[in-house]
Amino acid sequence: MKSINTTTLKKFDLLFIAIAFVMLGYLVTFQRTTDFIIFCIFVVSYDLIYGYMGRLSFGHMLYLGTGAYATALFCDHVSSNPLLAILAGVVCSALLGAVLGPIVTRTTGACFALINLAFNQVGYFLVLIGFSSYTGGEDGMSAFFGNLGPINFNNKMTVYVFCLTIMLFVVYFVRRLTSSPFGILLLTIKENESRSQFLGYNTVIYKLIAFIISTGIAGLAGGLSILNYTYVTPSFIDPTRNVEVIFASLIGGAGSLYGALAGGITYMMISNYLPNYIQRWEMFLGIMLLILVFWFRAGVWGYLTRFSGKPGKEMGS
Amino acid sequence: MLLSVGKLNVFYGSAQVVSDVSLEVDQGEMIFLVGRNGAGKTTLLKTISGFLPSGSGKILFDGADINGKPSNELALMGMRYVFQDKRVFTQLTVRENIHLAAYPFKQKASEAEEKVVGIYPEIVRFMDKKAGGLSGGQRQLLLLGRALIGNPQLLLIDEPTEGLAAGIIDQVFRVLKMMKGQLAMLIVEQNLAVVSQLADRVYIMQEGQIPRELVSQADIQDQEQLEKYL
Amino acid sequence: MINTLAYGLTIGGILYIISVGLSLTFGTMRIVNFAHALIYTVGAYALIAALPFLGGYFVPATVLAVLAAVPLSYVIERYIIRRLYGASIDYAIIATYAVLLIGVDITKWIWGATPIPLSDPVNQYLNIFGVSLPVYRLIIIALSLLVFLALEIFLRRTMVGKIVVAGLEDREAVSSLGINVEKYFCLIFVIGSCLAAFGGVLYSPITTVHPYMGFQVLLLSFAVVLVGGLGSMRGTFISAFVLGMVMAVTGRFWGPAAETMVFVVMAVVLIIKPIDV
Repeated sequence: MKSINTTTLKKFDLLFIAIAFVMLGYLVTFQRTTDFIIFCIFVVSYDLIYGYMGRLSFGHMLYLGTGAYATALFCDHVSSNPLLAILAGVVCSALLGAVLGPIVTRTTGACFALINLAFNQVGYFLVLIGFSSYTGGEDGMSAFFGNLGPINFNNKMTVYVFCLTIMLFVVYFVRRLTSSPFGILLLTIKENESRSQFLGYNTVIYKLIAFIISTGIAGLAGGLSILNYTYVTPSFIDPTRNVEVIFASLIGGAGSLYGALAGGITYMMISNYLPNYIQRWEMFLGIMLLILVFWFRAGVWGYLTRFSGKPGKEMGS
Repeated sequence: MLLSVGKLNVFYGSAQVVSDVSLEVDQGEMIFLVGRNGAGKTTLLKTISGFLPSGSGKILFDGADINGKPSNELALMGMRYVFQDKRVFTQLTVRENIHLAAYPFKQKASEAEEKVVGIYPEIVRFMDKKAGGLSGGQRQLLLLGRALIGNPQLLLIDEPTEGLAAGIIDQVFRVLKMMKGQLAMLIVEQNLAVVSQLADRVYIMQEGQIPRELVSQADIQDQEQLEKYL
Repeated sequence: MINTLAYGLTIGGILYIISVGLSLTFGTMRIVNFAHALIYTVGAYALIAALPFLGGYFVPATVLAVLAAVPLSYVIERYIIRRLYGASIDYAIIATYAVLLIGVDITKWIWGATPIPLSDPVNQYLNIFGVSLPVYRLIIIALSLLVFLALEIFLRRTMVGKIVVAGLEDREAVSSLGINVEKYFCLIFVIGSCLAAFGGVLYSPITTVHPYMGFQVLLLSFAVVLVGGLGSMRGTFISAFVLGMVMAVTGRFWGPAAETMVFVVMAVVLIIKPIDV
């Protein structure tokens, strides 16, 4: 049931996404768009475990924060090469994911949500108090990147182009991943884990791999935000901020790569502009979440595709 | 007709598990449902008894349309479902298990106990033991006795002899035989010896459908023939 | 030594009172009710609101605060949680989190974000082995034991309690007997919520009352529920006191790490004994 529309979309999706984010740059300034891009990468990483694997985590900020702090620490203590520093962030997050993954991926549902939250809380504490002599505690720390050959990463436009390129790589990678047999297996785990076990798949390993990939990409988002802000504070790992990515994932439409991007942009738009008009931000978020859960489960992308007659997900589920 | 199911369809997500199934159970009849694992037997039973949301189709019980009614209301109307896997309340004593079943029918505790003792006299020895300590066969007999409390008109029983030792299957068989005729039963069963000795009629279930119904006793007692459907 | 012990028991007692409701709803409905943290917070604020009207008397104000949880929790159960029965469990988690966000914001709206300190309502000390201990803390320990005993009697001796025990194990089977499980779950939800409010009331003189007080406590009580074993009331009781002691002992060496240590213990327990829910 592949329509021509989706095939063209699939073929040129990277181009479309790039154009969309350039237009967004002209619309809301490029510096802000960099923010959007980084958040979108984070939402994509989250959607891998929520949308594809069907596990709702309340602790994904841990991996964003780990990536951010690892990048900043690497930059300050080892090398100011931005590529190496961000790579360090990705590796640290993925490693943490590999250590905690075997514990958390054994659980589902409510347990999964809250165990992740608990680990996030521990990470927050370590950053804020435990290792405050390294992380600067509440004040956070700054990181100054050197040039990469002729490229000056203190130029905001350079950072924008760099982040956009990275995001396109991530989108390409995740799309390949989710449409591979591995991605289909993840969806099977989401629908019925015991059935996949019954078919002879070692679901534990697959879940763990997906978790590590997701945490690695979250670390990438963390590293990039250091590049963008040149500082990091405990708010990068604050467990109460997990609701932002959950919100974005829901509003975009969980389980769809384009939905994750749409959700990321929508959330950033809302959070960047609405607080000027809305006094009670948390209440607004809460009410929006209730509306999403009760009446708008397919999300922005789900409805867009439904009305335009295209299949909602790039994979049949 | 006590129970009449017409053109029932049930879906799990996008997968159709039961398609266009029709069957009927009359007062006092003992009907067996035979088929392979995954044929949709349990789904069918759970849908009839209100544990799964139904798809399209008609389910009439005692003349009333019961499609979509919650399981607890159906139990009060006289249709009881006995789960597979011998699901007793392990944390409660045998006596408490029985009292719990008497509670919604406002039946006296002693009468309810008598009912269970009536089909399974040895249970008096375990009355105040935790039901979690019972063997599989003892659990099944407790469940059958418990399902009789409140005088239901129809029992839906899922795999009553599954996983039981031969001697205990005999015991369950005797109880089912004793219950035969007193009320209507629709039973999912893989043990063909039990089926051919007790069945009034047999429905064969295959891949979500009921392609055959065995009515004559000659067909029902031909176990070799039945074997082909498993 | 005795101080640490008393502190651990006090924290354990309060953790028990808060967690038992979570354990009941988690065990029966299989959802994490984030709104539990809201009810806890509302309990504390209701106490603060009621105190001036009741001439500063703590006990009647407590009763009012606990009763305030009844309509609030009923509405949450009836109009949020029950509507999401049968849907993915994730939606119930997100929805109760949304309720928590909204509720916390309303609390901030009414009372402001500044922490409100409360004085010790008993303000007497008892000398035990040369250590002077606040009587209020001893009362908390006694109250938690009382709650435990009352719940044990309720669950073991009454018919409603037995239905709940059976429902913790197998709600479908209870329903197959002709019992309207949802009705009893709603009752359990309200009772658990009242206990959360009670916990909020009891804890507020020890810490301070602020809009976000529920977040942290929710995580701690979740750890209690997991360590104690899902749906096990006695397990919850024991694990609350064990984790309370963990907090007290850790806190003696390094104050800020007390709560974190609880999660470390939880992780260890989960590694040894994984839970698949």
